[in-house]
Amino acid sequence: MSENYVAPNQQRYLRACMVCSIVMTLARFRDEGCPNCEEFLHLQGSPDQIESCTSQVFEGLISLANPGRSWVAKWQRLDGYVKGVYATKVSGQLPDDVRSAIEEEYRIQYIPRDGSVTEAD
Amino acid sequence: MEASLDAEKQAEILRERYGKRAPARGLGDSAVVPRRLLLPSVEDPSIWAVRCKEGKEREVVFSIMRRVEERLGTKNEVPIISAFERGGPNSVMKGYIYVEAQRQNDIMIALDGVLNVYPRTKMILVEIKDMPDLLRVTKTPNLEPGAWVRLRKPAKHAGDLAQVIDVTENGLEARVRFIPRLDYGVRDEPLLSADGKRKRPGMPGPRPPQRLFSEAEARKRHPRNIHGNPQTNTWSYMGEDFENGFQVKDIKIQQLDVKDVNPTLEEVTKFASGAEDGTENLDLKALAASLKDGVTSVAYLPGDIIEVYEGEQRGVIGKATNVQGDIVTLQVTEGELKGQSIEVPNKGLRKKFRPGDHVKVIGASKYRDEVGMVVKIHNDQVTLLTDQTNNEITVFSKDLREAADIGGQGSLGQYSLLDLVQLDPTTVGCIVKVDRESMVVLDQNGDTRQVVPSQITNRLPKRRTAVAADRTGLEIRLDDVVREYGGQQRQGKIIHIHRSFVFLHSHESNENAGVFVTRASNVNTIAAKGGRINNQSSGPDLTSMNPALKRNPTGQNVQAPRTFGPDRSIGKTVTVRRGGYKGLLGIVKDATDSHCRVELHTKAKIITVPKADLAFKDQITGKVIDVNSGRGGFGSRGRGGFGGGSGEWSGGNRTPMATGGGERTPAWGSKTSSARTPAWSRDSGVSGSRTPAWGDGSRTVNPYDGSRTSYGGATSYGGATSYGGGSRTPAWSSSAKTPAHDGFGHGSKTPAYGGSDAWGSKTPAYGVSAPTPGASGNDSWGYTPGASGGSHPYDAPTPGAGLGAPTPAALSAPTPGAYSAPTPAAVSAPTPGAWQGGWGADTAPTPAVGAPTPGASGGYYGAPTPAAYGAPETPAASGPRYADED
Repeated sequence: MSENYVAPNQQRYLRACMVCSIVMTLARFRDEGCPNCEEFLHLQGSPDQIESCTSQVFEGLISLANPGRSWVAKWQRLDGYVKGVYATKVSGQLPDDVRSAIEEEYRIQYIPRDGSVTEAD
Repeated sequence: MEASLDAEKQAEILRERYGKRAPARGLGDSAVVPRRLLLPSVEDPSIWAVRCKEGKEREVVFSIMRRVEERLGTKNEVPIISAFERGGPNSVMKGYIYVEAQRQNDIMIALDGVLNVYPRTKMILVEIKDMPDLLRVTKTPNLEPGAWVRLRKPAKHAGDLAQVIDVTENGLEARVRFIPRLDYGVRDEPLLSADGKRKRPGMPGPRPPQRLFSEAEARKRHPRNIHGNPQTNTWSYMGEDFENGFQVKDIKIQQLDVKDVNPTLEEVTKFASGAEDGTENLDLKALAASLKDGVTSVAYLPGDIIEVYEGEQRGVIGKATNVQGDIVTLQVTEGELKGQSIEVPNKGLRKKFRPGDHVKVIGASKYRDEVGMVVKIHNDQVTLLTDQTNNEITVFSKDLREAADIGGQGSLGQYSLLDLVQLDPTTVGCIVKVDRESMVVLDQNGDTRQVVPSQITNRLPKRRTAVAADRTGLEIRLDDVVREYGGQQRQGKIIHIHRSFVFLHSHESNENAGVFVTRASNVNTIAAKGGRINNQSSGPDLTSMNPALKRNPTGQNVQAPRTFGPDRSIGKTVTVRRGGYKGLLGIVKDATDSHCRVELHTKAKIITVPKADLAFKDQITGKVIDVNSGRGGFGSRGRGGFGGGSGEWSGGNRTPMATGGGERTPAWGSKTSSARTPAWSRDSGVSGSRTPAWGDGSRTVNPYDGSRTSYGGATSYGGATSYGGGSRTPAWSSSAKTPAHDGFGHGSKTPAYGGSDAWGSKTPAYGVSAPTPGASGNDSWGYTPGASGGSHPYDAPTPGAGLGAPTPAALSAPTPGAYSAPTPAAVSAPTPGAWQGGWGADTAPTPAVGAPTPGASGGYYGAPTPAAYGAPETPAASGPRYADED
């Protein structure tokens, strides 16, 4: 697992993936893509994709050390994801084409991370 | 075979297609479990809230992540399961990190050594039912094109209204248009000079006004920087884009204010008018939407008369009794439902006013704070006539409220009503009326003119020490009541003094807010604030009546500070009477005319003290404030006289004192109490320290007290002032007294003397003395312990003399000191006795005083709170003379 740590001076360049809400620097998205969603987002090496599928506006950072065990992860639906830093809320809309691709082709249920879907507790 | 091959191939294909999807990953589950099934249970790890440094929450979260990774696989693996933060500049949860772990101890171990987080301070365990709330997320509303926002970021335009044209797909940026603030290069020079490195901090300061873009202007200044397309009216100037006169820019959503925009009608109309080609830019729906959001913020107060104008209960009018959130409970006042209580949501309500109601504008309209009377009502628009300017203005009823006060703004910019302002180098005036943009000023010649703030040079602050001389030559200060001599004989209180002009305020007249102006030499004092005795006419008379004065021809010398040889006060033992070293004993080591250097008895220190603050302690008794350096001997003389006198005032010692007094008198005589500690003459204010009542009159006893100023110059009967300005012990009218006592010329009895600075006549003062505890204000009290009750030794009577009859009025209670009008009666009495005490050696309560050493006076009559005296007796005792006289 590569370094998830981001120095404070680099924290300006953080972006959050709109699908899985993982938070990484722009550079890392460019180099490695999204560790959870690369299959259907193809962020690696594509600044445009990154620009449209990740957002700079997010809040509530979660440092997930043990996704399998964590209730927080379960609640946020991060329990299948890798260790790392995630965001509780990512503002922004996934482009429609990407969204439909996800849902139809890959049959992944997309849940928006911006708080728009309020589920009954 | 083929089938199997096919199957294999199929499998291959399928695997290829779908194999990538690690099924365990993320959203592999086709059915997403609803959240309600994911609620925390007891088996789940718990969450603790750990204090951390505000603003550093994110850093801490990352640090934790790093630490987890570093120690992964080692035997020091970090035992916590996750950690999150919800901080932000406006979050309630800032300053905390939430850590998920099995045991609290795990957290301690894991966070040990991590910066900016404090696991040792008490960690708060989050209850299971609260856990989902920690992670609750609300959606920030999306921006729609046409919506109104306010700019935050380009500093020049902070707060300006802008309209959203478009929003980027990811919802991060919005293209907005707003009215530019261009100065077309007028201000470019300063930018080049010093601002090289600085990020132009001064820019927002003087911002250019909002003006639509005009290419003609731009071309004039910077023909090179502009290019564009005349047809579509889009231009690019200095790197900024302009369309139809508006500036168009892509701004991040974070740099905009989306909530509570409340676009005012003027701003919005500017946008509408901006369209040159006549297309209606004003999206009424968007406007209505944003206005409606603003409307809901109207708060109805219980007691408002409200009308329902929407819904089935339309037309119902009632009075609000209770407002809870959005629901208002209304008590119906008219119609069929009268008497009933109904509840209506905020939305459909409107405040109801009737023509003739007195209302105040409280809403966001530009007429905020205007007060006026309702003249017309139309739906929810109300027309009112303003109080101040009698203008008609129309506002929404939601912006109004019943007003009890007359009000209106009393200030315009930095100027407020009744301020003294400078109109031009030679003219000053007083503001008598304040309008929205202008005001009416009454200048020193009595003419009124309407000015705008820019025509005023500056405001003149009130100089409390301003003094002028009235017609008779008496001093007049602020807050004195005077009457014009000629003309209309108007009477008023002085609010401003400027050179030879006084501005007066009278409650009787309504013209010009009751303010009028006249020359200082044209007024007669009616009442001086604080009971300052301005009646100096009696002063000189007293001086001549003052036997003590007459007696002592050498008294004249006292005027001129004689300094024969070394200063007489050197080597004398003194006590400090004022200041930080008050009460300390010392010896005068060196002296100048005004100050002495005193070596303190207790500390190895030499301090410089003004002579006025010292009390020369004679071996015998009494302290006398030695103001005049020349008085070498007087201490002794006076003292002697008093010393013995204090005790034996009854004794004939007085005489010596008299002389002493005589000496003093000169000092006393000076109205201005120059000799006296100037403070003494101060009005009440100063007297305060004196023990108001004490000072006057009674003190006189201490002839020494040249400083009695209170006496002398005692205009200040300071305490006396309480008398209402010189109305010292009315009864006293010192005159009566004096004769009796006069020996000392206490004339300063002050009350009567009112300012009789001439203590000489103390006796009158005695009357004063006694009374006016307030009168005493005359500083002298303090000092003249010897003064035993003012009657100073001379009279022996001092006893009651001053004391006794504690200013009947004055003393009563009001701590004499409290010049506060020691209600002449107030002096209840003890004072006389009191004085005794004070007088230092007065041991024997100087006659009359008898016992009641007011005690208070013991000292220097420190504010002989008459109460102190408790012992009413003296009054009776001493009261003698004065009492009778009263």
